[in-house]
Amino acid sequence: MYETNILSFIIFLPAIVSFILMICVKKSEDIRNIAFITTIIILILVLKIYINFEPTSKMQFVTNIPWISQYGINYYIGVDGFSLTILMLIAILIPTSYLFLWEGRTKGYWLNMLLIQTGVTGTLLALDTILFYFFWEIMLLPVFMLIGIYGTGNKVLSTIKVTIYTMTGSLFMFVAIIYIGINFYNEFGYWSFQYTSLMKVTILSHTEEYFLFFVFVGAFMIKIPLFPFHTWITSTYSNAPTGAVFLLSSIMAKLGIYAIVRFMIPIFPDICIEFADYFVFIGIFGLIYFGIAALMQNDIKKMFAYSSASHLSLIAAGIFSLNHFGMNGALYLIIAHAISTGGLFLLIGMLEYETKFKNITDLGGIAKKAPIFTFIFAIMLFANIGLPSTNGFVSELLIIFGIYKSNHLMGFAATLTVLIAASYMLWMFQRAILQDKTNNNILKIRDLNLKEIVAITPWIILIFIMGIYPEPFINKFEPTVTHFIDDFLNYGRIK
Amino acid sequence: MIDNIIYLMPIITILSGAILMMLLSMYNKYKTKHFIIISSIFITIALIFSILHFGELYRIKPFNDIFNNIIVFDTFANFFNIILLFGGLLVILIGEHYCKKYSYFKGEFYSILLFAIFGMMLLAHVNELISAYIALEIASFCVYILIGFDTSRSKRVEAIFKYLVLGSFIGAFFLLGIVLVYGATGTTNIDTITEIINQSNNYNTPLFYIGISLLVFTFLFKIAAFPFHSWVLDVYRGAPILVTAFMASVFKVAIFSFFLRAILSDFISLNTFWEDALIVLTILTLTFGSFLAITQNNVKRMLAGSSIVHTGYMMLGIIALGESIESAYSIMFYLIAYLLSSIGAFGLISHIIADTRKRSTYDDFKGLGQEKPYLAALMTIFMFSLAGIPSTIGFIAKFYVFTEAIISGYIFLAIFAIIATAISLYYYFKLVAVMYFYPSFASKKASKSKLGVSNFMISVVALLIIWGGIGSAIVFFIPIPSIDGILSVVELSIQSLFIK
Repeated sequence: MYETNILSFIIFLPAIVSFILMICVKKSEDIRNIAFITTIIILILVLKIYINFEPTSKMQFVTNIPWISQYGINYYIGVDGFSLTILMLIAILIPTSYLFLWEGRTKGYWLNMLLIQTGVTGTLLALDTILFYFFWEIMLLPVFMLIGIYGTGNKVLSTIKVTIYTMTGSLFMFVAIIYIGINFYNEFGYWSFQYTSLMKVTILSHTEEYFLFFVFVGAFMIKIPLFPFHTWITSTYSNAPTGAVFLLSSIMAKLGIYAIVRFMIPIFPDICIEFADYFVFIGIFGLIYFGIAALMQNDIKKMFAYSSASHLSLIAAGIFSLNHFGMNGALYLIIAHAISTGGLFLLIGMLEYETKFKNITDLGGIAKKAPIFTFIFAIMLFANIGLPSTNGFVSELLIIFGIYKSNHLMGFAATLTVLIAASYMLWMFQRAILQDKTNNNILKIRDLNLKEIVAITPWIILIFIMGIYPEPFINKFEPTVTHFIDDFLNYGRIK
Repeated sequence: MIDNIIYLMPIITILSGAILMMLLSMYNKYKTKHFIIISSIFITIALIFSILHFGELYRIKPFNDIFNNIIVFDTFANFFNIILLFGGLLVILIGEHYCKKYSYFKGEFYSILLFAIFGMMLLAHVNELISAYIALEIASFCVYILIGFDTSRSKRVEAIFKYLVLGSFIGAFFLLGIVLVYGATGTTNIDTITEIINQSNNYNTPLFYIGISLLVFTFLFKIAAFPFHSWVLDVYRGAPILVTAFMASVFKVAIFSFFLRAILSDFISLNTFWEDALIVLTILTLTFGSFLAITQNNVKRMLAGSSIVHTGYMMLGIIALGESIESAYSIMFYLIAYLLSSIGAFGLISHIIADTRKRSTYDDFKGLGQEKPYLAALMTIFMFSLAGIPSTIGFIAKFYVFTEAIISGYIFLAIFAIIATAISLYYYFKLVAVMYFYPSFASKKASKSKLGVSNFMISVVALLIIWGGIGSAIVFFIPIPSIDGILSVVELSIQSLFIK
């Protein structure tokens, strides 16, 4: 009983705690403390899962019970190497981010943060497509609230824009899910929406598969975001509060990539292979395009929005190279990027909160006033660029190998990532942090306090351990990647 | 003889309650509070009588020597009775706060409300066209009166006249339709008409088709489908908001109860004849509904416009009926979902209006999240349910309807409906955004809303919506019945139509 329900517990504990807090507790400090304890409990449970997890490609800790039995929709959750890695990531990142957001947030902020955790964990662990859609949609609602209530600037327009943009994408995906489910019913005579069942459908014509594939991928591309569905990111990232930006960039965007691997490759292996080159191209193009756009930005948050999009394009390109190097590298970059970007967004959030400025030209001379802040900022920055001995290096290397293996020309283009990232990041670093300026006296910033240093230390340790000795981390998800490539993609090639 | 009376009891209870309150309203000493109590007691008794047969499969015609096949009592009608009574009860109890504030809600209001419910319940039972007309008109006339209950405002007068004139006009269509059908078949009894259709395979006299088309027009008018939708905005806007809630939810269910019975039991074989027309009308209904809803500045009018869109979704289910009878389940489930969501939304607005006496534009909702966080949270749930966001009953209902439409091969209609849903996100989320993201005009501090009956009932509706969306599987540690339960009851009630 306990063993099988541990995942459900991890998913729903934050939501239940959030509802109880909403009704019972008034003081925002108490709420924050209880929320923090909740995330720590979840971290402990996830660690337990991580230890007990056998390094095979099998689904583990599975719960599979009927939900709407007339239509064969099941409450089907489980974890494999791939989702375990991201689960671990979520469990570590969220509590530490709480320490960064510690002061000055109100009740609603913390309640929404808890609800987001339920949404993202549910999305990650759902294996039934309808259940996946269920969580995929509701994880957006707390973000909608967070941006709208606690955002800055033109917050209402940007929150409505991002919500309707992504929800429209997922509504079409919803129709696609139903369509495949009906074809499954027509072929096998019973209902099921589990992704393992939907894989078996053979009666779809090639044209139908094209349509369905692009509807699915469209929904995921909006969330990631890949070119050309990226138009929502600048306004959202620049107007959203720190917590929301952090969650959007370091966790939710990754779930889009995750969903491509989890659902697209098993259900449409042949179409994935057919269009792999195009998606690698879109990825590389996005990488360069967003990189150049990042160079041009003056708003530091917008710059990081484009930087994040640029890296995510590289991850997508790595996934669609469809070989061991590329996919392992992409998974590794998911973790590495989540840590470094998450850290950077939290630091920037603090910077903006303290100084009230967010334009690169307004900032400057931070290094003198806040040396520890600058030091940690630099580490995160270098990890983000992918300097050797950081985890960014390992993952980008693997991805470039992978892309090179599938297409030489693209492989060459992918190496540009380091160059572009280095140019916008270092330029920004120089102007916003290092350089002394005349308006220096207006800027007031405190250095990181002990709590924040403690919070971010595990991330720094992870960055270096993962950069120097990646083997134990890759071992956890390698069997799953092999399983995906050997079983699903080869099946697609035969087909 | 006595056994059969028990089946009649719900209707008799409501009728006697209505008459009793009509008599009581002559005395001044009975206040609105008393009438609320009396009417809810009568409805509760009727509900208990209905629930006695809950889950049974039956179809009987009691006192058939008197009624002569006009009225049937089956699981189908019983199912609708329960929904209607429950909806009526919700309207009365949620409106408690509103009615106490406005002096014109006297005893007669509740009496007429019960008469309306009586007419609607009758409509769920009738199996014959002329009595259907009578039942429909009983319900409609009560609703006309309810709309115009407070004639001091010109909006009310406009609403009642618009609805009265158009409604009577369409009633005449219905009568003409009956006449033509009678001319073609020689009977007005639905069972007999079915037999005649089935006996002669190539049954295609123009007279008959024109007659049925006129009946379909009435149906389209009452559910506010294109091209008969334009009355909705003004009438919903002009009517007292409680009556709007009643019309949008309960009355719509009642209309569907009769026409679903008619379509399912007889005209299903004729569905192909109207299929093309209905497809076009559905697309237009969705388009115009979305357009109307998106352009409104008043929340009441927005909800009215969105009710047209919801009608469009249900018409999707009706079109799919031609292919598989199972889409009737989806329509009935959708009705329940829409009933809960719209009663919740309108009821909550009535609650707010009663306190603030404002109009109900979007601007009036600014800052509600800070002033009344509890009501704002409930309103958010209703908006999410209407928009079909997962974890609410609206999502499950949409899932059923879309699934049935795609199974029947209407993939493009489903895509069109999805586009309408995407548009609907805008106007529902706009209200949520207005409530939470703007500071209040009045700059009042958070005032605690008093615990009252209507507060409580709105919360119950919100809980039902959440429960319907999540069901028992996800919260498997709490032993409550699941969504499967509702669906199997629906299935049972459809089966009862085909008992010979």
